[in-house]
Amino acid sequence: MKTCIACGMPMEKKEEFAMGDTSKDYCVFCARPDGSMQSYEEKLEGMTRFIVKTQGFDEKAAQNAAREMMAKLPAWQGR
Amino acid sequence: MTISKRQVRKDQTQKQLIAVAFDEFSREGFMVTRTSDIAKAAGVSHGTIFAHFATREDLLIAVIEEFGHRVAGRMHELANQGGSVREVLEAHLQGLTEVEAFYRRLVSESSLLPSGAQSALVAIQSAISIHLSQAAEQEMAAGKIRKIPLHLLFNTWIGLIHYYLSNAPLFAPGESVLKRYGPELLEYFVSLITV
Repeated sequence: MKTCIACGMPMEKKEEFAMGDTSKDYCVFCARPDGSMQSYEEKLEGMTRFIVKTQGFDEKAAQNAAREMMAKLPAWQGR
Repeated sequence: MTISKRQVRKDQTQKQLIAVAFDEFSREGFMVTRTSDIAKAAGVSHGTIFAHFATREDLLIAVIEEFGHRVAGRMHELANQGGSVREVLEAHLQGLTEVEAFYRRLVSESSLLPSGAQSALVAIQSAISIHLSQAAEQEMAAGKIRKIPLHLLFNTWIGLIHYYLSNAPLFAPGESVLKRYGPELLEYFVSLITV
């Protein structure tokens, strides 16, 4: 099973891939409307917002958690 | 590129150490288990551990991350079989029951763990909350469940499960807390949120 290089989500079904394209290495949640992959800043902001919304963390703590999670992912190595 | 036999052997040893450490941490907990205990259980010298992991903390984080990948993958697999809030929660309980001993240690000792290990736990919860939030938003829109902020919905569920897990010796001494109470907790929680 493929895993999104930008957020780590497992990708199985066609609709989980960016633009429904199974040759892509990133998921539908990490794609911009035009299908290109979001930037580091866009993803960090999106992940932070998601953690605050679904887990209720303090915003700064959520951003730190998002940054640490992203540091493990292939798309953001060397940052 | 060919991978040398030496590299293959190194990877195998590393995987074996992670698997043995997983069992030892599950049984004894993160704070008490010593690297020498892990080396002994794995049948290797104490030094071998540090040839693969620079510090005890690195080993600990590697084990928790490996566990996180397993839980996230399993959750994804199980939750994709259905789409309702109840099905997501059932999948969550099923996934956790399979690895209950380790998860219980993680929950009980999380505030004492290094930050890298804590962020691995946040990553696990994020993998769960994405499935729960998607299902809950649909059911809220359809008027099936009460309109509750997503973080409170998630934290109420997690709080309930974690309370039972962290007090396992009181609720289910010597047996699985989730097997014994999971179905009851699930029914109770669903009854709280159902319109």
